[in-house]
Amino acid sequence: MAVSLGSTSLASGASTTLASCKATIPSEEYTKGTLTVATDDPVYSPWFVNNKPTNGKGYESALVYALANVLGIAKSHVKWAYEPFDSSYTPGTKHFDFDINEISYTGARAHAVTFSVSYYNVNQSIVALKTDKIVKDHTPAELKTYLYGDQIGTTGLAYINDYIKPTKSPRVFGTLDQAVEALQLGQIDAIVIDTPTGQYMASSQIMNAKKKLTATQVGQFPSVGEHYGLLFTKGNPLVGCINVGLQALTSDGTLAALQHKWLGIYTSVPTITP
Amino acid sequence: MNEVVLELQNVVKRFGANEVLRGVSLELHRHEVVCLIGASGSGKSTLLRCANMLERIDGGSISLFDQSLEDRRVDPNLVRRHIALVFQSFNLFPHLNVLDNVLLGPVYAMKRKRADVRDEALALLDRIGLADRAQEYPDRLSGGQQQRVAIVRSLAMRPSILLLDEVTSALDPSLVGEVLDLLRDLAASGTTMLIATHEMSFAKDVSHQVAYLEKGVLVEKGTPDEIFMNPTHEATRIFLERVR
Amino acid sequence: MSLDTDAASSDAPNLFGSRRSRLFVGRRGLAASSVSTVLLVGAIVLILFVAPGGAAFRYYFFNFHDMRVAWDGHASQGISALSHSLFTNVWMFLVSEVLVLFFGLSFAWIRISQTPVLFPVRILVTTYTDIFRGVPLLIVVYLVGDGLPALKLGFVSSQSPSIYGVVALTLTYSAYVSEVLRAGINSVPHGQLLAARSLGLSPSSTMRHIVLPQAVRTVIPPLLNDFVSLQKDTALVSVLGVIEIANAGQISASTLFNGSGLVGAALFFLALTVPMTRLTDHLIERDRAKRLAGT
Repeated sequence: MAVSLGSTSLASGASTTLASCKATIPSEEYTKGTLTVATDDPVYSPWFVNNKPTNGKGYESALVYALANVLGIAKSHVKWAYEPFDSSYTPGTKHFDFDINEISYTGARAHAVTFSVSYYNVNQSIVALKTDKIVKDHTPAELKTYLYGDQIGTTGLAYINDYIKPTKSPRVFGTLDQAVEALQLGQIDAIVIDTPTGQYMASSQIMNAKKKLTATQVGQFPSVGEHYGLLFTKGNPLVGCINVGLQALTSDGTLAALQHKWLGIYTSVPTITP
Repeated sequence: MNEVVLELQNVVKRFGANEVLRGVSLELHRHEVVCLIGASGSGKSTLLRCANMLERIDGGSISLFDQSLEDRRVDPNLVRRHIALVFQSFNLFPHLNVLDNVLLGPVYAMKRKRADVRDEALALLDRIGLADRAQEYPDRLSGGQQQRVAIVRSLAMRPSILLLDEVTSALDPSLVGEVLDLLRDLAASGTTMLIATHEMSFAKDVSHQVAYLEKGVLVEKGTPDEIFMNPTHEATRIFLERVR
Repeated sequence: MSLDTDAASSDAPNLFGSRRSRLFVGRRGLAASSVSTVLLVGAIVLILFVAPGGAAFRYYFFNFHDMRVAWDGHASQGISALSHSLFTNVWMFLVSEVLVLFFGLSFAWIRISQTPVLFPVRILVTTYTDIFRGVPLLIVVYLVGDGLPALKLGFVSSQSPSIYGVVALTLTYSAYVSEVLRAGINSVPHGQLLAARSLGLSPSSTMRHIVLPQAVRTVIPPLLNDFVSLQKDTALVSVLGVIEIANAGQISASTLFNGSGLVGAALFFLALTVPMTRLTDHLIERDRAKRLAGT
């Protein structure tokens, strides 16, 4: 699974190898000697498990500890902090080294914060009721005919508008729950959402009154370069070493293994084209 | 003697523990002007308000044209069209101009058409020399002018009886005269009136009967000459001494 | 101490105020206050440029490019246009205002009435007013927006979230407005009522033609205040997922990582409310001048 490099720059100046990083990191940390990682509360599967970042379970939790390990930071020196998503990008001093919260990189956002290289490539997928026509008929031309719905401000909605380009305007909802409800009521044909969340919705969340699962993940779209990055305050030099660590995890296969372990279900989802 | 239009028999009125009227009896005949005199708190205002049913009496009876007002079938709104009450503080409606103040009663209480009443209202205002102020608002008028408008407002209802509650007491002394002149005018034209007042010389001039109230009791009643020149009761005499 | 004024000292008393109190009068005083006001405002503006985070602050909140993006909307980024979502706020407060006036007046009238027949209803209205003046509007929005659909009561439970928002706003603001109107009605001098009744007007005619016109005139300033407040509180309906302007502003903020869209939404609210608050002040001042004329 290729991890694309984001458009963030490596720290200039000092040579950035794993060895040199192990020496320089402590001085770049927010709290010297401790790696402070922020995330939201509550956090969900498959990114974290049981809302406990410290248990090392879930893709993002496991990733953080793997990263710490490769950079020579002891597990006991990793501390978690709470940062709601909406304050993670506002200006001002932040009380963390970086934030991990399924935050997608965009060029606009990169003006305000600094992103690490990608730690996960996002594919969008289609979730629909098992009874909907889209389950069988989803050629590119057919995809344009359906009524989609999505939460406002999401990359899923953006994908619908940019790539699927349906003839009927997608219905926009304030919250994801409202979109899911519309799906269950048959008011929309499909929701577009990132593959892991879509998988969760189809395999556990969407059910009828008799507790039977009623939705299915129809398929996932090819990557269009959307990816998640770790979020740093703008210009934070620590990103250089973190990127080195991520690249090390990529080349030694750890990243792929973690993705397979925690997000592995998705590999069985067929790929369809918009 | 003309017929009795308003009769109070042993009227009792209490406010809480305070007995303000203690069995007052009084007769008012058609075309008669009766002045009520007495100190503040003697019950003059309360008596007038009982007469037009703004207050309900606790004992005794009041009859208008021989109809007892205590009868449950009596509608106070209808009673008040026959007995009009003018207040010391004029109580003109500040959000309406002078003409509308006068029109209000006939139009909304008597359900008459505005166009019909307008001429009558202007005629009434003309009678008091304020027809040219008809479009102005009450706050532009002097106290005396306002009170005369208030009287005319009541007259627009064509009441049988006019009750006047110390209508000059809140006025600047220089403005009292114009109001009293209007009342003299009304008396001369035969309006039946029950007037509570402090103006002794006015009372002497205009009334057929004068009644002296003290602490809720009608102490003495008689012609102006009898009361002012030769009061029978000591209390009356003391009061008149003080106000001379 | 003797009270004999004839024996007062032959020196005339000193009538000059202290120098300090003379410093702030007249033209010198005006100059002093103008200068200090300008300095204060200047200091605040300067902070936005001089503070270490000043540039980041200005970029985050006053970036006109991003404000424009938020205003126009950006379909491919999933940003809903401010210029479009503001109509949601407008229709919500217009409808709520009408309902609030109607219910506020009805409840005020019920509470004022003396008839024994209405006693149970009066108790109900009083309880209602206590509750909805006491519970924060945000909680009412949640309770109505989540609660009514949960009842699964056919028509009642299948409305859009913005309808529930209007219901919540109406419930809360009717309580406030009924109190304001009640105070207004009570402030009409009792003599007005007596005069109207003495003319033979029925209680309802008295209320309609004499009491209410005067009551409403008196309480126009607090009523206007409540409506300005209502206009702003339409933003709270966003918690039900309604895409009104504050919500759209927040979405543009989280999409672009830039808060200028929020500032744009704030400017919309100002455009709406400032004329009304200026009008309110003008009315208060005009009423004051009228009352104090000649004193």
